[in-house]
Amino acid sequence: MLENILIDALVTGLPLIPVFLGVYIVLRIREDFDLTVEGSFALGGSVAAIMIAAGIPPALAMLAGAASGATAGLVTTLLSLALRLPVLLAGLVMNMALFSITLRVLGMPTVSLSGATTIFTAIAPAPGRAADLATSLVLALIVVAILTAFAVFLKTRLGLALRASGVNARMVRSQGVSDRGMLALSLIMSNALSAFGGTLMVQMQGYADVNMGSGIFVAGVGAVLLGVLFVNPSGSQVIRIAVAVLLGGLLYRLILVAALRFGLPAGDLRGVTALTLVVAVAAQAYLAPALDRYGIRLRGWRRRARPSSPGESHGVIPMEASHG
Amino acid sequence: MAEPMLRLDDVRLVYNRGRVDEVHALRGVELSLQPGEFVTVVGSNGAGKSSAVQVISGGARPSSGRVRLNGVDVTNWPDYRRAGLVARVFDDPRIGSAPELSIEDNLALALDRGRRRTLRFALSGARRRLLRERVARLGLGLEDRLHDRVGLLSAGQRQSLTMIMAGLTAPRVLLLDEHLAALDPATAQRVLALTAELVTEMGCTTVMVTHNMDHALRMGDRLLVMSRGRIIHDIPHAGKSGLTVAGVVDLITGSGDVVSDRSLLADLETQEAPK
Ligand SMILES: Nc1ncnc2c1ncn2[C@@H]1O[C@H](COP(=O)(O)OP(=O)(O)OP(=O)(O)O)[C@@H](O)[C@H]1O
Ligand SMILES: [Mg+2]
Repeated sequence: MLENILIDALVTGLPLIPVFLGVYIVLRIREDFDLTVEGSFALGGSVAAIMIAAGIPPALAMLAGAASGATAGLVTTLLSLALRLPVLLAGLVMNMALFSITLRVLGMPTVSLSGATTIFTAIAPAPGRAADLATSLVLALIVVAILTAFAVFLKTRLGLALRASGVNARMVRSQGVSDRGMLALSLIMSNALSAFGGTLMVQMQGYADVNMGSGIFVAGVGAVLLGVLFVNPSGSQVIRIAVAVLLGGLLYRLILVAALRFGLPAGDLRGVTALTLVVAVAAQAYLAPALDRYGIRLRGWRRRARPSSPGESHGVIPMEASHG
Repeated sequence: MAEPMLRLDDVRLVYNRGRVDEVHALRGVELSLQPGEFVTVVGSNGAGKSSAVQVISGGARPSSGRVRLNGVDVTNWPDYRRAGLVARVFDDPRIGSAPELSIEDNLALALDRGRRRTLRFALSGARRRLLRERVARLGLGLEDRLHDRVGLLSAGQRQSLTMIMAGLTAPRVLLLDEHLAALDPATAQRVLALTAELVTEMGCTTVMVTHNMDHALRMGDRLLVMSRGRIIHDIPHAGKSGLTVAGVVDLITGSGDVVSDRSLLADLETQEAPK
């Protein structure tokens, strides 16, 4: 039972880790909300599914899927800058537009990949559990490679500029960094990652669905908050950032899978997602300080204990959409 | 005479043009600073000192007039594009650094000011050594805390760090807008000494806005008095040495403005009483 829950959580959770990483970039590094990721997830998955169904090598299809997400992120940036829309609103608009585009790409609401060659084709003949294990191993390799590449990127001069850009735009500009450029970079990266997650998901589940991205943003926020609660990386601790995303994402999936296994109807899953988010926020805001009184420390809390000043707001949920 | 490092030609700046709250923050500012020149700027609240700094740094685009840096017309350059030439220290210590990042990350960010942000590592062994050595000069023990988040530092430590960051790339122009305003007197003295040291060392053209008349007189080799969006007095070194704090106050109040420095009375007492 427990083993099944764990493997299910891995198989269904690992494809989402790139998506959650994308949510992390915008939510924690930029302190903003970008709903485009929902549309990008479905778009990337659909682009890859159509190409894979047509017999194109999966690696190429996945690249194309990620590129479609990057393009969506670029368009959101342009909308936000040209029309002076907050990213939240630009992303909302894009999310709707991407639904229609994804439907056009698919040509029908769902496209099956049965019989097509995916990255998992080689391991498909294995018997039930063994195949699941092999699948999660392949996924884990890909996800760890992405997280590592991302952590290394954050250590570069460009990555450092990105890390600095969210909280304090004036400071970053005075250091010669264009904050518009950093907005573009963050949205392009996060949507490319989300779309890449979509390409993993369609291959794992064997079909693409026009609605597959719906709800994934809130799931990402919940996962990120969970990860932050336990690992709490500062802006300079890039390895911890990667760990927080991985841990939060898998924990979030574990909660969902366990709820399913214990007999919750699938329709209630969104409720569980919402609850996870609320609990993660509440734990940061109320539980941790209360536990601290008894000498029990959750990592996510310590720095929130000091009264925060306007220039130093590092609350998990930004109250204002930063926008230049 | 050599090409000036900084030149403002009839610079005007209007906020909220056409609205009821339209403000003429700058009404024709003319200024020419030679390389290495150090000016202090005084004037009452709302005189336009910060606006002038904004126009030089690129934070605000003038409504009319030209801004030239080192002979290049930069009027239409955004602030981040000017950052290679112009370094800036803000009045609020929290603005000049990123609280979520470590001290060394903040310094590394400043080390690449004005250069393309590439995919090379932000911190190499050589860079770490350089940064550690620079920070050690502060004498605040920060060189042993390079991994600490900047948000943990005090206002004085943070402003000192910002000064070091400003000096890392040897800017041509250094803008200091009331950069001691948030500091207690002892810390302000220390950061002021650091300022003098860095400016001398880099030989950069420096504009220092202050409400402290004593600092305005002691620092720099030229004094500008601003009022209502204009420079109303431009006092060269020779004229400056003969001035007293009371004299500067007279120059400002002579324009009908109210002097804004609360510490001024105390200053006046200590400086004028012995006579
Ligand atoms: N962003 C802005 N929007 C609208 N008006 C502004 C803005 N910034 C400054 N002003 C106005 O422009 C005028 C000049 O302001 P500025 O900040 O340059 O004065 P200052 O000399 O720096 O004053 P202080 O000593 O108080 O810092 C003031 O009337 C101010 O209210
Ligand atoms: Mg000012």
